[in-house]
Amino acid sequence: MKPTDEPQGPAEDTRSESPSLTRRGLLARTGATLATGALLMHGRAAQAQSSVPVAKAPADTGGNASRGYRPVVVPNGAKLPWKYVGGVKVFHLVAQEVEHEFAPGLKATCWGYNGHVHGPTIEVVEGDRVRFYVTNRLPASTTVHWHGVLTPSGMDGVGGLNQKAIAPGETYRYEFTVRQSGTCMYHSHHDEMTQMALGMVGLFIIHPRKPVGPRVDRDFAIMLHEWRIDPGTRRPDPNEMTDFNILTMNAKAFPGTDPLVVRKGERVRIRFGNLSAMDHHPIHLHGYQFRITDTDGGRIPESAQWPETTVLVPTGSTRTIEFVADETGDWAMHCHMTHHVMNQMGHELPNMIGVKPGGLDAKVRPLLPGYMTMGQTGMGDMAGMHHMPMPANSIAMVGGKGPYDEITMGGMFTILKVRDRLEGDGDPGWYTPPPGTLAQLAQADELRRDGIDV
Amino acid sequence: MEVATLVEERTGLKTRWNQGTPEDAQVQQHLDALLAGDLTSDRAVEVALLNNPALQATYEDLGVSQADMVQAGLLTNPSFDGSIGFPLSSDGITETEFSIVQSFVDLFTLPLRKRVAKEQFQADTLRVAHEALATTAEVRQAFTEVQARQQLVALRREVFQAADAAADLSNRQRAAGNITVLALATEQASLEQARLELAQDELALVEAREHLTRLMGLYGARVQWTLAQKLPEVPAAESSLERLETLAIEQRLDIDAARKQTSLLWNALELARSTRFFGRVEVGVHTHRDANGPRLLGPTLSLELPIFDQRQALIAKLEAQHRQGENRLTELAVNARSEVRAARAKLVTLRNMAERYQKVVLPLRTTIVEESQRQYNAMQIGLPALLLARRDQVEAWRAYLETVRDYWMARADLERLVGGRLPSTAAPVPAPTSSPEPTHENHEAH
Repeated sequence: MKPTDEPQGPAEDTRSESPSLTRRGLLARTGATLATGALLMHGRAAQAQSSVPVAKAPADTGGNASRGYRPVVVPNGAKLPWKYVGGVKVFHLVAQEVEHEFAPGLKATCWGYNGHVHGPTIEVVEGDRVRFYVTNRLPASTTVHWHGVLTPSGMDGVGGLNQKAIAPGETYRYEFTVRQSGTCMYHSHHDEMTQMALGMVGLFIIHPRKPVGPRVDRDFAIMLHEWRIDPGTRRPDPNEMTDFNILTMNAKAFPGTDPLVVRKGERVRIRFGNLSAMDHHPIHLHGYQFRITDTDGGRIPESAQWPETTVLVPTGSTRTIEFVADETGDWAMHCHMTHHVMNQMGHELPNMIGVKPGGLDAKVRPLLPGYMTMGQTGMGDMAGMHHMPMPANSIAMVGGKGPYDEITMGGMFTILKVRDRLEGDGDPGWYTPPPGTLAQLAQADELRRDGIDV
Repeated sequence: MEVATLVEERTGLKTRWNQGTPEDAQVQQHLDALLAGDLTSDRAVEVALLNNPALQATYEDLGVSQADMVQAGLLTNPSFDGSIGFPLSSDGITETEFSIVQSFVDLFTLPLRKRVAKEQFQADTLRVAHEALATTAEVRQAFTEVQARQQLVALRREVFQAADAAADLSNRQRAAGNITVLALATEQASLEQARLELAQDELALVEAREHLTRLMGLYGARVQWTLAQKLPEVPAAESSLERLETLAIEQRLDIDAARKQTSLLWNALELARSTRFFGRVEVGVHTHRDANGPRLLGPTLSLELPIFDQRQALIAKLEAQHRQGENRLTELAVNARSEVRAARAKLVTLRNMAERYQKVVLPLRTTIVEESQRQYNAMQIGLPALLLARRDQVEAWRAYLETVRDYWMARADLERLVGGRLPSTAAPVPAPTSSPEPTHENHEAH
């Protein structure tokens, strides 16, 4: 680092401390000024494991056994590793171009951190002194903003306002003491439109120093995002303002999303962050009523927590829900905006519903032998269209294999799998409903019995 | 016959001057044979050379000229003068007188005159052959036009079919309640536009056929000729386009004719100059018997004395004509060179354009249709957009065909301008241009 790149003065947290600051927080702070910046981790070697097993919380890559918190599970995601250096948790974020797969069959060149899109989840504890080295390997300048995290103004990461932007090749140091708990985020705050549209966002989870609320057995963290990737292209289009066609949970679109696996009776927390460019997402969980317990502003007093089945996660916000998983099954969890559960849908299609093709195909085929009239009964059939030639590097609008049929959804769709027993860490497969609890074709004798005339 | 030789030399085809002989019947049979099968460019030219009425009329010019030459090759017919004198007195007797007068001048001037007339004949021959070659070029172009028009109509029909399919879809959408009257009317208007454009193209084909029919001099049942051949591709290897200017000056018949015309005028001028002091000379035999005198027999001689008229006016006129002829020849040569250069440039440009279409534009259009089909399968675009891609492909094919047609036109032009075949590196065997292949997609019928 050049001398000119040093932050101006020591990274002092000049805010008034909350009276409940713990001893550990003090220790962390005193070690802060002794940081040498000599990181033993470099670039790719420092990458966290790329995916987290779905069933159970993994061994925490940077924590220790006595950390006193249950690490979050980030389906399809990664965690940012850290080291203690003189009582400070030292992290290294590398902003770089990343080849990312949204779902089988769709890859794109995005911008992310440490080889991941989105960036690896940062997980710390209230009171930690944290130091982030941010290396810019992008062709453009960038910064990191710790969204919702209370920091000194000079650490807030707004390019031009709080700091000089990090030029390509430079490494900046951010350092502050974490004085809150909850679900926050981080993202680029320089040319936000471009850099966030290309994926430069991540979750920033802060566990409370002392337990808050009932202890949870499963703590999931999901970042919501939206993209424009035209079928047949391989780079998101940051200029898109309204017509997004890839909607993701942790940068995966169904059928690329890993399920959330829990055992019956466990208390489950799901944290949602939303850094979509232009959309809020009402996330609906099937099978349960839950409570909205937190925002990025912190814990909601119990008396004010809303019972809900759908949580609206505004863009630029986080929402946390909690419930007890007392009903086994495969429960859909998805954004309830129907266009947000489609993949790469064309929005300029003529309305074909109810159109009777008649001799139209015979008329068109001499000109276009591959033609077949589609859409006259809707998009459901698209799930079965895999045999037709599609643009290279594109995925079907809808369709993941379900136990009974194609699931006619895509995008922001995942499955909460609640089981009596769990074996191993993986996906437990499809749920087998007990007899009498499955919707089936009505039999003739049943219809007669109940006087239903069809 | 010399025209036939000249034309055959340059086109490899036979021509014939129908002079109402029994052989003409054979010509008619030959024509029927030529028109029986599928018409080719060469056959069309042959038919025209044998049967184009304007060309036949031009051949008759040679008849006139040949007669002139025969005329010049004979001595002027002697004139027989007879006179009888009746005595007016009682003792008079009837007097008779005979003389055979021959313009002996002819005998002196005959070789020159013969030469002048022969050159005139040759010049006429060249001019007629040039006409035949011009007709050849015109027939080749008309043939090319018919070929192109046939394919252009087929392609326009595809444009129409695409518009028809789009309108059909709109009708069905309207029936389902999905689109406005405005949207439907817009599609229907597009369909009608396509229908009208197809009618125009079909008329253009009829006109092109009639043009060729006229050039071949056909009427009646013979106008039913067929032409199935597709327009040939631009040949892979171009004939050598070197020395074309020189070639034009060497072998263009109209330039040769102008050259002959100029030297003919020079010879006429020489003749006039060499005879300027010759008046009319008449030599005769004269018998005469006076009354009560003996019969006399003796020669007569009459001499024109060129004292006042020494043919100055004629000579001046011929000199002016000769200079005029030289100027015309120069003009012809200068223009020929320039026209050859321009036609060669046109040929090269059209060739490059055709190749660009073939190697780049048309494959791109195919890709666009294929990728549009994929985007359609992925439900990114609807049928109208897919049909639009197909229509654009067809339009590109039309533009390509027009370029290929213009290439062959330019080629015929260039051949006409250099006065015969182009010096070929190798006779190119052009493949026919096919219409756009529909895209092949693995499609399972449902």
